[in-house]
Amino acid sequence: MSTGALQSKRVSPAERREWWLFLLLVGPNILLFAIFTYWPLLYNGYLSFVRWDMLAPVKMWVGLDNYRFLFSQPEFQLILFNTFYFTIASVLLTIVLGLLMALLLNQSLRGRNAVRSIVFSPVMLSGAAIGIVWIYIFDPRYGLIDALLGFIGLNSPNWLLDGAWAMPAVIIVHVWKTIGYAVVIYLAGLQAIPRELYEAVVVDGGGAWSRFRAVTLPGLSPVVFFLVLTTVLTSFQSFDIIKVMTNGGPVNATTTLVFYLYEEGFVAFNAGRAGVASVLLFGLMFAFTLVQMRYEDRSVHYA
Amino acid sequence: MLEKTISRRTLLKGMTVSAGVFALAACAAPVAPSAAPAGGAAAPAQTPVTVLLWSSFTGKNGETETELVKRFNESQSDVVIDYQFQGNYEETAQKVTAALQAGTAPDVSLLSDVWWFKFYLNRALLPLDDLLNAQGVDVNDYQDSLINEGVRKGVHYWIPFARSTPLFYYNKEKWAAAGLPDRGPETWDEFMEWAPNLAEMEGEEMKTAAFSHPDGASYIAWLFQPVTWQWGGKYSDPDFTMHMTDELTVAAGQFYKDTVHTYKWARPSKDVQADFIGGLTAAAMMSTGSMGGIKANATFEFGTAFLPKKDHFGCCTGGAGLAILSRTPAEKQSAAMQYIAYASSPESTAFWSQNTGYMPVRKSALELPDMKAYFDAFPQFKTAVDQLPLTQPQDSARVFVPNGDQIIGKGLERITVQAEEVATVFAEVQATLESEAQPVVEALRAVEG
Repeated sequence: MSTGALQSKRVSPAERREWWLFLLLVGPNILLFAIFTYWPLLYNGYLSFVRWDMLAPVKMWVGLDNYRFLFSQPEFQLILFNTFYFTIASVLLTIVLGLLMALLLNQSLRGRNAVRSIVFSPVMLSGAAIGIVWIYIFDPRYGLIDALLGFIGLNSPNWLLDGAWAMPAVIIVHVWKTIGYAVVIYLAGLQAIPRELYEAVVVDGGGAWSRFRAVTLPGLSPVVFFLVLTTVLTSFQSFDIIKVMTNGGPVNATTTLVFYLYEEGFVAFNAGRAGVASVLLFGLMFAFTLVQMRYEDRSVHYA
Repeated sequence: MLEKTISRRTLLKGMTVSAGVFALAACAAPVAPSAAPAGGAAAPAQTPVTVLLWSSFTGKNGETETELVKRFNESQSDVVIDYQFQGNYEETAQKVTAALQAGTAPDVSLLSDVWWFKFYLNRALLPLDDLLNAQGVDVNDYQDSLINEGVRKGVHYWIPFARSTPLFYYNKEKWAAAGLPDRGPETWDEFMEWAPNLAEMEGEEMKTAAFSHPDGASYIAWLFQPVTWQWGGKYSDPDFTMHMTDELTVAAGQFYKDTVHTYKWARPSKDVQADFIGGLTAAAMMSTGSMGGIKANATFEFGTAFLPKKDHFGCCTGGAGLAILSRTPAEKQSAAMQYIAYASSPESTAFWSQNTGYMPVRKSALELPDMKAYFDAFPQFKTAVDQLPLTQPQDSARVFVPNGDQIIGKGLERITVQAEEVATVFAEVQATLESEAQPVVEALRAVEG
């Protein structure tokens, strides 16, 4: 058909129809992305250079003022630190604990299916509702954790009102909420590892550790890659639990980049500063994704 | 070949998908304000005008407001209020902001003490005096400190509706156990003597605090406002000159810090109201708007009192009022005012305040028989109303500076939670307030001259 098109200058009706079909199929998707992804992205970039309270008819162009302001804020370093603290801790805990739980739930134990459902259930609950419940669990005077620590003669820290404990508290809740998802993905990955590989290790005289190190871990590497990517991206953007449990506090102890974006944008109505924060967040996630993609080629084994 | 691939069905499917996309796109695109189908010249005179009302109450307060709207709609046939809940004060303000951009703003919105001014500054609120006059509303019958807060350059923009003040609450059982008289402390010095007997220790841990401080998110900057006045300090002047670093303001901050870190009979709390109801704090300053919830849930007798004095008495107002958006079409403006007049009428405010604990905003409401009967049955509420004439509007730093409430609130958290040096923290807060106030000062000059 392409030779035909070359021969005659006029586009054949058939080819035109194919072109229309292509537009019909691709158009809606492109349109959706353009309206809801690319346009907001560009517009947000523009907003980061203006001073605007989201109401005034005029947006005042201030150049790099918003960027200078953010980088000169003493809290800004803390906010970046908090963002990485929250993300790295959440991802490590989810990846490692999720794997351990998945290995456990992969054994043929009694009640395994019930436990699998229970582990997964927090994933489906609303972060706001979970946050409220955990506020009570963390209460240092009548909370569940205080009661448990009481058995071993310890006093509960004042989780949510202590600058050092508030971040661990929200990380615990975030991991508790998201770990079920990791477990399910791990379990699916474990099912996909061929049994013969384990048998081969046994034949070679390897024990449980060798089976794990030589077969399970390499076999799971695409799953780990996928989980790291998704949990990093969701942790970077995690908002609901922080909003409900600590509101970024005490003072700024749990203020991450996303929370700062919300505060500047929708509490202080500073479109410019919120714009800078989201440009930064976008840059960080973009850079991370690029690094990940490169790394994937080298060390992920697809079966 | 292609004729076969695009059957009519696939084509229809494709069109449906595209249509869906356009429908989605329409959501994001500015939508023209719903043109008044009623009330226009062409419409028959019988058709009522529909007024869109946005508001922020849940639970008992939300039910009461719904009832108020229902009564209004049933009381006459010219105006129908379309009442829509929009989330808390902050969320409502966020949605009004977004809706103004999209041209879908409501006609009337509830706006809280820290939000209405932002809309005023952007000329988004309608001057109300002509409409008030047309409805025959007696402006002088509103509680002065409440109605005057919504006045700029002699013009009314913001009519009091769900207004509250801080109030001193105490647990009568704990009071009796500590051998204290059944009343609130006259002064903070008196409370200093009482407090050590009220705090109950369990080893190293304080089981019951004598007093509790909320966090920034629970408006500590609102409750600390009167304390600055009691000490003779203030956050700021009306012209945005900041006074956080004044000696007396710092002294008030030092007192708050000492209650937690030196005297150790007060503590910061995530939820002061829950602590009070649960008996974990013997006393606290809370909003009058919390009274309904406390009354419903406390298993002990509680008392209320005026705020304690230091060198002066001081108490501020708070809560929310109603405003008409300036884009409201002319034919809806008087209908909108008709509802505002109804909702803040003496009878309505009596009904509203008895069910919520918010203040009756009209002086004459206090003389109504059912209001008097309510005062007799529930003297704790009468205390709040008696304190009302002594209140004053808050300082501009908290209510008019963008995010001023949270800037001061975080400073207070640094003092009460993290025991930082008061003078240092307040100096930083002052610097932030000054730079954040700058755009407001400029905008104000443009709007008010």
